[in-house]
Amino acid sequence: MPEIFINGRPVQAEKNQTVMQAAVANGISIPYFCWHPQLSVPGNCRICIVEVEDEKGGNWTDIACNMPVSDGMRVLTESAAALAHRKAMLQFILLNHPVDCGICDKAGECTLQDYHYQYNGAPSVSRDAKVRATKFHPLSERIVLDNERCILCSRCVRFTHEISKSHALGIQARADHSVIRAVEDGSFEQDPYSDNVIDICPVGALLSRSFLYKARVWYLKETPSICPGCARGCSVKLWHRKPEWKLNVLDPRQNTSIARVTPLENPAVNGPWICNKGRDLARIFERPRAEQAMLKGSPVELPAAIDAARRLVGKAKRAVALVSNWGSNEELAAFKVALGERFACFVKQDCSPQPGEPIEDHLLIRADKNPNTATARKHFGDATPELHEGTDLVLVWGEGFDFGRLPRGAKVIFLHAYLQPENGHADVFLPLSIQTERRGHYTNFEGVVSAFEPCFPKKASVADAETLFAALAAPVEATA
Amino acid sequence: MTGTKLLMTFPVTATSHSLADYRARGGYRALEKALAQMKPQDVTHEVIASGLQGRGGAAFPVGRKWATVKLDDGQPHYLCCNADEGEPGTFKDRWILEHAPHLLLESMQIAAYAIGVRHSFVYIRGEFDLPYRRLAGAIEEAYQAGYFGERILGTDFACDVIVYRGAGSYVCGEASGLITSIEGKKGYPRNRPPRLSVRGLYQRPTVVNNVETLANIAGIIAHGADAFRKVGTKTSPGTRLISISGHINRPGVYEIELGYPFARFLREDCGGILGGRPLKAIIPGGVSTKVLTPADIEPLALDHAALEAAGSSLGSGGMIVIAEGTCMVHLLQVMLRFYHHESCGQCTPCRDGMGWLHRIIDRIVAGEGVPEDIERMQAISRANDGTTICGMGDAAGYATVAILDKFRDEFAYAIAHKRSRFDGRLEVSGHA
Repeated sequence: MPEIFINGRPVQAEKNQTVMQAAVANGISIPYFCWHPQLSVPGNCRICIVEVEDEKGGNWTDIACNMPVSDGMRVLTESAAALAHRKAMLQFILLNHPVDCGICDKAGECTLQDYHYQYNGAPSVSRDAKVRATKFHPLSERIVLDNERCILCSRCVRFTHEISKSHALGIQARADHSVIRAVEDGSFEQDPYSDNVIDICPVGALLSRSFLYKARVWYLKETPSICPGCARGCSVKLWHRKPEWKLNVLDPRQNTSIARVTPLENPAVNGPWICNKGRDLARIFERPRAEQAMLKGSPVELPAAIDAARRLVGKAKRAVALVSNWGSNEELAAFKVALGERFACFVKQDCSPQPGEPIEDHLLIRADKNPNTATARKHFGDATPELHEGTDLVLVWGEGFDFGRLPRGAKVIFLHAYLQPENGHADVFLPLSIQTERRGHYTNFEGVVSAFEPCFPKKASVADAETLFAALAAPVEATA
Repeated sequence: MTGTKLLMTFPVTATSHSLADYRARGGYRALEKALAQMKPQDVTHEVIASGLQGRGGAAFPVGRKWATVKLDDGQPHYLCCNADEGEPGTFKDRWILEHAPHLLLESMQIAAYAIGVRHSFVYIRGEFDLPYRRLAGAIEEAYQAGYFGERILGTDFACDVIVYRGAGSYVCGEASGLITSIEGKKGYPRNRPPRLSVRGLYQRPTVVNNVETLANIAGIIAHGADAFRKVGTKTSPGTRLISISGHINRPGVYEIELGYPFARFLREDCGGILGGRPLKAIIPGGVSTKVLTPADIEPLALDHAALEAAGSSLGSGGMIVIAEGTCMVHLLQVMLRFYHHESCGQCTPCRDGMGWLHRIIDRIVAGEGVPEDIERMQAISRANDGTTICGMGDAAGYATVAILDKFRDEFAYAIAHKRSRFDGRLEVSGHA
């Protein structure tokens, strides 16, 4: 293992590493725009120029991202020469940049902004007009491109070539007229990972249409969570309004809605990427909610409904449970402990691929569109649900069940979080909390367990499945 | 006369480019000699011994470049002939392609033999029409005569040549940009390391040589390195093709023996400055080399070392003569317009710096310059020095700084008086 010295500090580097990789691995900061740990090295932004002390031929400078380490190498990242180059590169990069941070969604998490404050901080020395370019170029249905903000680092282009493999983006024209464009009409639309380019864009050039002008990022807080969209279970950050910046006017729902979803880097599961379905978790979690317990469609208080359900469970002779594979590890375990003996339990597929949705691919997307089939099957096997004649009670937990398959005469307890016509037909309907209102764990198809945290408070009128099952199992006379 | 000649050794006629005429001049005997009597390493050693330097601009020792390709590494190797002659003022490779295409092809086969190449490429400038047709015709003839393809001259050596026409980009004349272009990608130069002789075309070891460089190989193999070393100077053996244009009485392509006196070349061989005017400046080797003044060139010999000592370079051999009365501000504007147009836009300093320089010089020419513009242009040029992926940023910076330094008063005049000292003309009359 070669040992190199960065600013005099000895650093153990791996063979075949670059100075940049060695620095990042050891927590030493060298600025970069175009370099990305998961992408090839284009060496085009030139901001990572560092100085190397060479006893023989005097010092020399070159880019750290493309500089192989060699034993005993002495690298200076903050020398006068390195700082002068850095400042000059920032001057070039900002020469035609509109510096419209005040209206830019990236402001607050923009690398260019950070580096400018850190390494330059001076106003522009140019007296000439900036090069004008396209604003709001529609790169796809999901993404708009501001070519004036773009610094042509080519990260998005390389992402589509090396990670998503859609080869959908390229650079047109030359010099300071270069622009990022989708290579042909529509090919970027079909890229199920397209939104990752928004995250990896070091500036505010690539913008999400759904997040455009929605919130300043410093008003938002991120909660670690898991995308329930498929069995991969990618780690994500759910961004929502900080409680201290609660809106008292406008639509109060903004305080409890997901502003955007970004990947939470997790090398064991998804690396730094997620697919577009994960970006649209609001479409799953913000469906109209069922918040009222009901007995055959008549609203009742939650405790009364739980009581009625418990009586049904106590009376049943042949009871079948259809267990949700959207339940957390804790909820599934609670079900197994409390009700596993009383019911013939089957795992229900809550969600299946929707028309137009990618089934499975080379990168992340899995055909099983449920987050916790692994744990559900561990507890309850993988048999197909059997609903024989004579079954007198069916407990349906979660969506995806065809109520036309109910055996004649069977009573139904339905546990669900969202509004659905069948809610009113069930003998007992119990509204449940959703993933954004509780904490828990999912186990993905590879057996990796990840955690999710609550973002919003749960309403008192909805039940938490984890505690509900024990209540359903309690003997009837105990509370009578 | 300009000393011994190695390339322009025959009178150009309607058929002098044909295979028959080339063979009558002794053509393809060097290839026969190499294949019959020499091992590939011997060829490389002979080229190292000849001291031949690259003729494309950087003057890198050719044999040393070849020797970095390991013959027994088990990989395919590639040879690319750089015929994308795009340096402004340069048109000497064109002469070889038009009049001695077989000399190039024979030399390429020898080089291919020396570095273990099965497929070689010629990347030819897209604007070249006659040179392309002559080259394509010569390749046709050479295939029919058995100099290309399989079992060349009855030996086990096999090599095919592929001609790739460029689409007019200047940076595709840079070795790695050329390779990227052959691969079918946008002509972006690549970062080093790795060097092209380690990972070049299709990620394989690749040698890229200029047309004139390669054209010297046949002679070196035919007559030996010692004979080659007798021509030219100790540090710069051989000859150079010089394409001279601008305010000169007899523009054209000349072959000079390296070490030939600069001033004598201009005065005697090229017939002096147009209209008998005094010389104001000369760009010695394509616009990317630093401009020289009459005082600079008076004691100079035309060889790599001497021009380097004078702070410039023989570059690509594209000489541009500038007579007294020419507006250097306007000249720099033309140059910077070119660099701005041709910057590939890949790396930051060149992409944004060239446009910035261009806008500043446009403003000065328009009479809206401010005194700090000169310092600003120098700072932009300096920020391009050694910070770009390929040499274009540096070269543009050197050329700009040299003109600004040597003709600073002209720029100061243009800024202060809002007009050129010379009415902004680049043309000078042929009649004084």
